[in-house]
Amino acid sequence: MKRRMFLQRSTAVIGASALGGLYPGILSAQAHENTLRIAISKAAGDLDLLKHYAIWAVQDLMFEPLVKYGKGGEIEPCLATDWSLEDGGTTLKLTLREGVTFQDGTPFDAAACKWNLERWMGTEKFEWMSCSKNFESVEMVDDYHVNIHFKAPVISLLQELSYTRPSRFVSPNAVDEEGNQVEPIGTGPWRQVSASEAENVFERYDGYWGEKPSYERLEAKVIPESRSRVAALRSGELDVIGGFWIAPLSPIEAKQLEDAGFTISVDPGNVTLVMGFNPDRSEALRDNRVRRAISLGVDREAVGKAFYHGYARPAGSLFSDVLPLSGQQFEAPARDVAAASALLEEAGWTGGPIRSKEGKPLSIEMVISPDAVPGLRIMSEVMQAQLKEIGIDIVIHSVDHATKHTEMLERKYDIGFFLTYGAPFDPFGTIVGLFLSTFKNDVEGKLYTDAEHLDPLINAAIDAKPEDTEAELQKFYDWLHDNDAIAPLLFVPGIWAHSDRVAGFTGPATEYDMPYENITLKA
Amino acid sequence: MLRYTGNRLQQSVVLLFLASVVCFTLVVSSPGNVAVLIAELRGMIGSPGYVEQIEQEIGLNKPLLIRYADWLGNVIQGDFGISYRTGHDVNADIMNRITVTGMLVAGGAVVATVASLVLGFIGAFWPGGITDRAVRGFALVGASTPTFFVGALVIFMFAVILNLVPAVGFNGLKSWILPWITVAVLPAAVLSRVVRVGLEEAMASPYVLTAKSKGLSRFRIMFRDALPNITPIYINALGTQIGLMTAAAIIVEPLFAWQGMGDYFLNGVRFRDFMVVQACLLLFLTFFIVVNLVVDLTVMATDPRIRRQRSGA
Repeated sequence: MKRRMFLQRSTAVIGASALGGLYPGILSAQAHENTLRIAISKAAGDLDLLKHYAIWAVQDLMFEPLVKYGKGGEIEPCLATDWSLEDGGTTLKLTLREGVTFQDGTPFDAAACKWNLERWMGTEKFEWMSCSKNFESVEMVDDYHVNIHFKAPVISLLQELSYTRPSRFVSPNAVDEEGNQVEPIGTGPWRQVSASEAENVFERYDGYWGEKPSYERLEAKVIPESRSRVAALRSGELDVIGGFWIAPLSPIEAKQLEDAGFTISVDPGNVTLVMGFNPDRSEALRDNRVRRAISLGVDREAVGKAFYHGYARPAGSLFSDVLPLSGQQFEAPARDVAAASALLEEAGWTGGPIRSKEGKPLSIEMVISPDAVPGLRIMSEVMQAQLKEIGIDIVIHSVDHATKHTEMLERKYDIGFFLTYGAPFDPFGTIVGLFLSTFKNDVEGKLYTDAEHLDPLINAAIDAKPEDTEAELQKFYDWLHDNDAIAPLLFVPGIWAHSDRVAGFTGPATEYDMPYENITLKA
Repeated sequence: MLRYTGNRLQQSVVLLFLASVVCFTLVVSSPGNVAVLIAELRGMIGSPGYVEQIEQEIGLNKPLLIRYADWLGNVIQGDFGISYRTGHDVNADIMNRITVTGMLVAGGAVVATVASLVLGFIGAFWPGGITDRAVRGFALVGASTPTFFVGALVIFMFAVILNLVPAVGFNGLKSWILPWITVAVLPAAVLSRVVRVGLEEAMASPYVLTAKSKGLSRFRIMFRDALPNITPIYINALGTQIGLMTAAAIIVEPLFAWQGMGDYFLNGVRFRDFMVVQACLLLFLTFFIVVNLVVDLTVMATDPRIRRQRSGA
């Protein structure tokens, strides 16, 4: 082959490859017309409901529960249309929705319901759920009526039944003989077409029993970097980004997008950022006057503005009022330098610029993990400056997410930061997990425990009759407040951004649900 | 040459073993308990005893030496184990991801090579002129700008403002352009200086004077005589830059949502996913060793002086 011919041919091959590369881009632009493209920050993972790897929000697209957790904690009908608790709370009588089929055509009836529930209820693996721990049996009354019997009344039973996994329902034909889910086939409005490390693609399930989405396809695209998600939204490659667990959008990015003309949707948030004290490590923090002084010394408004750009509400209570049984809302303490200084004086911490007592300076180590709570570095530096004004030396110790868990479990901090579990787990998820001393929490550590005073209040709330639960919980909330055991800082907002292609967007009821409902796509 | 290659391969095996020991030590001595992270990932926050259960499940309760021996035994048989984070087979994950990183590094290397040769040549052809100064300026800025910033900049310019190419994704040539540019800027800047300085030195050699006296044009002398003479230095520098580009994949891949080895490694480190981290480190190291070996052999093949020197040794 002559040199000239070689050059001509190789140019032609390179040109054809380039066009081949560009062509899918042109095609995909046309194919997006009826498709909602939403970001997820990591690959969806194994969607088996009895395994623990998948992103909940992706499972939410295909799998449905008996009852759904609605906004404000309202329990709404889903695959069950009616329910009642009988026999002192030990029997749950369910009426199942008729005319529901799984995406493979299998009918959803009492047999499918019983088969699903018996896969996990009463097993050791799911003992962490009260309904599983107390499970006795499932009884099929007829094709559309099922009774679930429990050994004892189950706290937050309906909330647990609304969880994404393991509570939701998979087609019995999608599970092999060894019990492994081989295909993600549920009763939900979306059917998975393809899945990879880069994206999961869904098409609308036209046999869906409820209101069907107005668009035909949904693509969940894996984009790990927050800045790249923002860029992809701005360049028109995505329609929706955000959510605390799905594809977090930082407040500053939200502000930039808002300025660029994108619509920002901010939900009040059902997770609280709480400052926790460790009196076992810091002698100063054993005195509740010091804890109160710290709480009064922090300007929650300023901290919120420094990082959340006004999207977050200052918190005075453990739980936001958007959660059920969140109790009386205490007002977020306003910053009061004089009152904080007086409290420290009263506690014997005097002098300056850093106060001391018996020759020991008032130095407190604050452990933060910006991986766990994005922006915590900025917030902690603001707090450090504010507390210095009242004579407290805050030493910031920044660790990564993995180290944070170890430090929290081993209680190697004076002040640490905790997030409450949020909907649908709260209030009891956080109360039992982070406050009950007899409950072993190997993952998060404890926010505050007091076996003598706090445990009896928690146990009373757990054991209370439904009509007394609210009053019993209030005693627990009052105790925390009166003793300055914790310092709630902010209610972490759920921040979403979407392009003008998307109309009717509403944030999901929990941070674990995908916000696809009510959306219409403009041409 | 064969004996030299054999010696280098033997050294590589020893180096790989030592590296695996160092990797293992680093991973196990880093703070944080992977079992706690798995429990959190699985949503088992409120499950007493679950962390111990996981520790048993993944063998964290075994003595360190046994864990290392188990891992090494499996690796020798080509089995990198199961990822703690995803439960996937690490071998399968690597097979899926290695082509993505290969595409990034290969494309970046081509862009860097072409850009550096053109820029270095132009700079040397008109020394001291405005073009030379511009190339020098590019080299200075390119070599001192962090890769993540270059990435953010090109995404903003070409995807957000001009809307010419996608900001993220791995879908054909159009989506490969920005990652290639991002990963190539720094090596192109460094290599353009290698070419520029190399050509300047070569042009001061006696053989160039001879060529000039024969009436050959400056372009012809630089292209046909001086450029081949700087090949060994250039290949050496290119080898180092390819190694650095592989490391840059850790930053570039997540930025462009490419699911390659860099992204895999980063997630492994964040999660203390021992199996993934170890596998990635070993592969990266193997790649560095192979690249260095290829560079040495190429240099020997292209430069008879080095070939004689090493064969003599």
